[in-house]
Amino acid sequence: MTTNTANDAVAASGTRQTTGTRGTSVVLQNLSRAFGATKALDGLSIQMAPGELVALLGPSGCGKTTALRIVAGFEAADTGSVLVDGKDISPVPAAKRDMGMVFQSYSLFPNMNALDNVGFGLRMRKMGSGARRKRAGELLDMVGLSDQARQYPHQLSGGQQQRVALARALAIEPRVLLLDEPLSALDARVRLQLREQIRTLQQRLGTTTLFVTHDQEEALSMADRVGVMRQGRLEQIAAPDELYAHPATAFVAEFVGVMNRVPGEMAAGGMVTVLGATCPVQGHGGEDGGQETPGPGPVDVLIRPEGLTMQVAEHGNGIVTTRTFLGSVTRVAVLLSGDVTVQIDKPSSEAAALGPGTSVSVTLPPEPVLIAPRQ
Amino acid sequence: MAAVAETREVTAPRRSAGRGIVRSGTAWRWVVLVIAGAYFLLPLLVAFRFAGIKAFGSVVSETGFTSSLGLSVRLAIVTTVITIVLMLPTTVYVHLRLPRIRRLMEGITILPIVIPPVVLIVGVLQIAPGSLKSTAYLLSLEYVVLAMPFAYRAIDAGLRALDLKTIVEASNSLGAGWINTLWRVVMPNLTTALLSAVVLTVALVLGEYTMASLALYQTFPVWIYVNSQTSGQVSVAASLLALFVTWLFLMLITVAGTRRSRRTGGGSVTLFTVARQETRGN
Repeated sequence: MTTNTANDAVAASGTRQTTGTRGTSVVLQNLSRAFGATKALDGLSIQMAPGELVALLGPSGCGKTTALRIVAGFEAADTGSVLVDGKDISPVPAAKRDMGMVFQSYSLFPNMNALDNVGFGLRMRKMGSGARRKRAGELLDMVGLSDQARQYPHQLSGGQQQRVALARALAIEPRVLLLDEPLSALDARVRLQLREQIRTLQQRLGTTTLFVTHDQEEALSMADRVGVMRQGRLEQIAAPDELYAHPATAFVAEFVGVMNRVPGEMAAGGMVTVLGATCPVQGHGGEDGGQETPGPGPVDVLIRPEGLTMQVAEHGNGIVTTRTFLGSVTRVAVLLSGDVTVQIDKPSSEAAALGPGTSVSVTLPPEPVLIAPRQ
Repeated sequence: MAAVAETREVTAPRRSAGRGIVRSGTAWRWVVLVIAGAYFLLPLLVAFRFAGIKAFGSVVSETGFTSSLGLSVRLAIVTTVITIVLMLPTTVYVHLRLPRIRRLMEGITILPIVIPPVVLIVGVLQIAPGSLKSTAYLLSLEYVVLAMPFAYRAIDAGLRALDLKTIVEASNSLGAGWINTLWRVVMPNLTTALLSAVVLTVALVLGEYTMASLALYQTFPVWIYVNSQTSGQVSVAASLLALFVTWLFLMLITVAGTRRSRRTGGGSVTLFTVARQETRGN
């Protein structure tokens, strides 16, 4: 299945043409939106390639939902524009935007069974009832709910409701799929299953998708690129591995994954002394100019749990306090001098020797590190 | 009930005494039911005895019966349609876009209960177009004002039980404009509330006397009163008949509404409470 190109006439008549293009490009251009004195969005720009799944990740109130709602047409931007396939859609009302949306809260129409819910968008596009039922049936089948076609929303579980909502959003062959925290109301196991299902479907259909979430695991596992937002701005947008390995700012570093803060001392030449090692500061004089390097003085150095190494040592610089078994790795908490606790990941087989109270020596390989102002 | 609640906290040795109070509570319930039932049913029985069976037969052939009943029914229909057409979009709009003025709406919609009917009539006469003033349908405009408090509350309660914003946005995003959204998504999920509004409006119109008699139109209640001056038995039979017909009509609406909303998981239709169970599990 392919998504048709921008053609309102085609959309309205319901006779969908399938063209060769796969997916639609979406550009958010310098979007700003204020609610009273609060700036929900402050110059947000994102370019989405056709077929791409971009996740907007951030704490609540960072503006990610506002951005999604502007794309959907439920909110208007104060400034900036949204381009779909190069065309500014700002004047187009939500009903004519051809965007499928899945909401955080259950949004199925309580008066319709699953099949009619999925067929609703097709009905609005004046598709005949036979074709509509057939197509809605196919979509329910696609999300694995053909047996529940005749059931009403109140007879379905939360996970099933969201799958019907997904099928309903996809039924109209949307140019863009918008997901507004669709999994956050579900329990952990269902969430995991649905996460995979959404991603698989999205890739198969090649629908350009904007996905809003506050769950970093969800964003990292599903998205082609993740945009981390803070106070209405985009802090960084990058592929998940890039975001994890090379966070552009301390905020991104600490929001994505687990991050240790270890006190260090800035030295001359963009070097920082920490745990007895001297490391270059990431982004210092670098190509993307990630952050400004402060002058000499105390700073916090940000290090991932897997970025630290440790050995059992009789007079080491730390003492193991707790161990958390995570499967193949075990996260070991080590108390360093100065009352600083760091988390260090060890293969579980090696962690057996690191009982609480063990004296260890924690070191840092001399690789570029991120720094943040001392807290 | 306070007595029952207190006995639950009584310590173990006295628990049997507590149970006795609970049991007498149940008995009290029956006493209240019987007294209330007698209060409502006795006048009806007495009226029935007074009128006698024969009077019921002659009601229908009495002059003015058909025309006055017809007028009341037509007024009920017109009033209901105007009320729903006015109040549904307004209340939906308030819920979606102006939730802050909901308090104000509640205040405004209670006014018709507070303001005397005579004042309302004069007000409506002031602003009503001339062409309407000469027809009985002018009364409908007045009844719309009278029905507003009930209709607003019924619809408001129904909307509160819905996640209105989400389903309206979902409907919009699927390509439905406002009319389709109201007609296919909002209204079907408000059947309970709308039925309550309809039931209350119809009951109000079929029973309204003051305005109709002041405006000199012979609606059914006015006819019953006028008729009672000449033939007491027939007019009593007519009011009993009217009561029965109204009751039957309301029961039909209620049963139909309950069956429909049970299918879609809604609550049952009751006159004053629009309870809607949200049965959503994971």
